[in-house]
Amino acid sequence: MGGHSNWPEWIYIGVIVAIMVWVGAEAWDAERLVEHVPEDAETIIVTGQQWFWTFEYEDGTKTIGDLYVEVGKAYKLEIVSKDVNHSFNIHDYVVLMDAIPGRVNTVWFAPTEVGTYDIQCREFCGLIHYNMRGTLIVEEAST
Amino acid sequence: MKKFVGLFLVLAVLMVIPAVDLAFAAGDEPGEYLDRRVVIWNLFYRLMTVGFTVGAVVSGTMIWQCWRFRESHPQAKPTPYEGTDW
Repeated sequence: MGGHSNWPEWIYIGVIVAIMVWVGAEAWDAERLVEHVPEDAETIIVTGQQWFWTFEYEDGTKTIGDLYVEVGKAYKLEIVSKDVNHSFNIHDYVVLMDAIPGRVNTVWFAPTEVGTYDIQCREFCGLIHYNMRGTLIVEEAST
Repeated sequence: MKKFVGLFLVLAVLMVIPAVDLAFAAGDEPGEYLDRRVVIWNLFYRLMTVGFTVGAVVSGTMIWQCWRFRESHPQAKPTPYEGTDW
């Protein structure tokens, strides 16, 4: 093996390790940003069950199928399930969190535009999973 | 001896991973308002850019190696393993 040099391999390994570290750091930073809930976020309990969503607000009121929020405010969703695994998804706001029986999973978001958006279960949960939908209704701020 | 080194390496990894996990886990401090769409899709596009760039470089290198070191390349030289009886 006279004259053989393996420095290209070491450069290759170094570059790969550097890229992996960078990718991990970027992903960790994004995760840290989106997981920390703002202090003034309003908590809404989101309950999934075959085959609809129930939303319970801080004042005790409940709605079924329709989630009412105000633009510019932060909302912490505590997602639970009453029967099987579901997954709560608001596609337009990149909200996606599993609803698991016996667990409380949280996710937060702050709607930026008034309008209506689709809510859909993203975990196959039985016969009518395809129609386990809801509507996010973002209203003007009340104050 | 090698077995012990391997065992300790495995144990070290098993110890280090949870420690790092704890150190970097999201704490209880309140977060700031942000548009998660921007954060998440930006991350996605950046990682896709890295992924496709690395993929292009790696597959390009492999294609070039296949082309350059084929037997029929004008500059191909037989290696000692192949003998010199061409």
